Amino acid sequence: MISPWRRFGLIALIAVVLVGVFLRAGMTRQLRERLGVGKVRPVELRVWDWWSASSNEEYGDYFTALEAAFEAENPDVDVVYQIVPFGNYVQKLSTAMVGDTPPDVFQASVYWAEGFYQRGMLRPLTDYLEADVDAAPADFIGKSAFLPSAWRHNHTQSGVVYGIPQIIDASCLVWNLDILEAAAASDEEIRDLFPRNVDGSVDYEHIRFDGIRDWDHFRRVTNKLTVRDVSGEVTRAGFVLSAYGSGAGMFSPWLASNGGSYQDSAGTRALFASPNGIEAMEFMARLFWVDKVCPPFRREMTDGELFQERRAACVVAGTWSGKDITRNSLGWEHFGKTAFPPGPRGVGPRTVTWGNMLVITRRCENVDAAWRYLKFVCGLHGNLMRSKHLGYNGPRHDFYETERWQQAQLERPYLSNVKQICLVGEKLRHTEIIAVNHQANPVIESILLRYPHIIAGNGPYPSVETALKLAAANVDNVYRRYNAQVERWLVRRGEL
Amino acid sequence: MPQSVGQKLLPYLYVAPALGVACLFSFVSMGISLWVSFHHYDAFAGSSAYAGLENYRRALFEQDSYFWLAMRHTLVYVGLSVAGVLITSLPLALLCLRARYWQSLFRTLYFLPSITPGVVLALVFFHIFGNYGQLLDRTWSALPALALLGIWAGAGYNMVIFLAGLTEIPQFLYDAAHVDGANRWQQFRHVTSPMLSNTLIFVTVMTIIGSFQVFTSVYIMTSGGPERSTEVIAYSIFINAFAVAGQMGYASALAWLLFAVIFIFVFVQMRIFRSRRVYDE
Repeated sequence: MISPWRRFGLIALIAVVLVGVFLRAGMTRQLRERLGVGKVRPVELRVWDWWSASSNEEYGDYFTALEAAFEAENPDVDVVYQIVPFGNYVQKLSTAMVGDTPPDVFQASVYWAEGFYQRGMLRPLTDYLEADVDAAPADFIGKSAFLPSAWRHNHTQSGVVYGIPQIIDASCLVWNLDILEAAAASDEEIRDLFPRNVDGSVDYEHIRFDGIRDWDHFRRVTNKLTVRDVSGEVTRAGFVLSAYGSGAGMFSPWLASNGGSYQDSAGTRALFASPNGIEAMEFMARLFWVDKVCPPFRREMTDGELFQERRAACVVAGTWSGKDITRNSLGWEHFGKTAFPPGPRGVGPRTVTWGNMLVITRRCENVDAAWRYLKFVCGLHGNLMRSKHLGYNGPRHDFYETERWQQAQLERPYLSNVKQICLVGEKLRHTEIIAVNHQANPVIESILLRYPHIIAGNGPYPSVETALKLAAANVDNVYRRYNAQVERWLVRRGEL
Repeated sequence: MPQSVGQKLLPYLYVAPALGVACLFSFVSMGISLWVSFHHYDAFAGSSAYAGLENYRRALFEQDSYFWLAMRHTLVYVGLSVAGVLITSLPLALLCLRARYWQSLFRTLYFLPSITPGVVLALVFFHIFGNYGQLLDRTWSALPALALLGIWAGAGYNMVIFLAGLTEIPQFLYDAAHVDGANRWQQFRHVTSPMLSNTLIFVTVMTIIGSFQVFTSVYIMTSGGPERSTEVIAYSIFINAFAVAGQMGYASALAWLLFAVIFIFVFVQMRIFRSRRVYDE
């Protein structure tokens, strides 16, 4: 039997350990620095990201290499990466900022960057940019270093810069070149989608950027690539259309290809219920219901999965998706990417683009170190590291002139059109995207799921036009409330 | 002998720690949330202006508010869940009680879903419902499918509660009923059922409260779709509170409206059950 003194000692020990753990976990950085707990280098730079070293070995390699290279150049800085899931970013960031444990730098999606800035969470970078005009070209991270389509989501209308683009993303059509090549053997129209080698032979490793001329051409080609069984059911899709969730995301690039915009640049009005938008919506719905080139709508089966299983000839994905497709399909690389062909009101191939960025928080205590980190990651060197480890193309002009990019295109021919795709992008909708999606996406979902009923006059909406106008009116309310809120914040901060 | 002041204070000292925690983490936060509901508020930026009843008016009357739609879906979910839980838990408890062997094994097996994280259950059922019948893809079946998951996950827990209630019923009542010639059904109707009324009230009330707050399965499996057919009130609160800048006040107003509805439901239910109570301790 344990003696009372020994029992008391054991309980006291456990209590001390528990109290110590709680105290250490609850310490703010200021307190830790004051006490000198866990201090290795003078400056600790806390970086948040939703990219995770634990996702796969490539991300692990990237973060390891990035940390090592940056710390070698900056011996005073200790970079600490913290991974925050994409879906929890907003709550966790607000909590961390309020709780005085903020990151210094984080990757901000265009989904939230503008809102974060207006709430006062992000530090304006204009002063650092102005002081950095004489930087070496490879280290310069001002506007002129970036593709115009990359430098769009990172500043206010009045020109205050709050983020530096780290990547450039665009929606694109991804084509299964195995399927196209097989069809091209007997079909001249499909053979024309491939470029020619200098000797006149067909280059089956690439797809022409402007191979698909317009929507009718797209409809015809996907119809030819669709395989149906005797009952008419699609066994191999010419194109995959999602209705649930991501389906609404496809609307934006098709809208852009028809010369339309989702919203105005000031974020005050939804513009998608225009004739351009109605035509785009009808076109998408008709691909499914009239042309029947798509598989049935299934929530648990994504278009990406169908494509990787080679059960679809064409899907909508991002320009970043190549390496993921290759990894998930155990090495398959025979696919190509194009922008969206023009609709009746569009001119030339179009899409939507966005550039997620690195930002510095207002509560960052070592802005100088944070700025050095931004310069490193968003400079040419960081772009090349992401190309090497993650297969990404970069948002910078000079990236496309490097050996590394030429080599990447040789190694992975599906990258060949990526720069062109990024250059023909409209700016992705940018004001309160999550709230806007909450208003508009269910309407788009209804149109796609119930198009025949809507046309027959017994659907949830009298027409596609009415449905889109209702969605646009609700989105306008989101903008109105958001802008009123921004005004109140500015007044409160004395900036208006 | 009169009690000293110290003796009088002692019971209050005993409850003080629990009361302090409850005050800090429940009542104080509830008070803050009530205050927030009358303001234009953001989790980071704080309060920017007094809004009065604006957030409540918007929730109840504005054209683009989904409060009533979400409340209707929530009520359907609550109805399905309560019915489902009562239909499954009580028979399971009766069966377990009668099991001659392995009673504790059955109890454990049925209880397992209750201790499995909701996210894990939601992910598993997402694929089950997707592969068998595509229940989440149709507007008429998505909400019942979510309720089915809720019933399955909660049946074991409620079974244990019913089991505890059943074991409390004195055996001599059954013996007397048996002597009077009552068959199994009559024993259940005239002995088990009335003697379980307190347990029944508890299970029903807890199921109603829990179902009104359903969130995880909606968030993981449907995100409120298809076509808003599974948009429930807790999901609306979450979207407005954490995904939209500056809408914490509106989300808090939604939360207080939910509180009011739950309060009314439980209050009415307690009154009804109390008037029908046939047995008291």
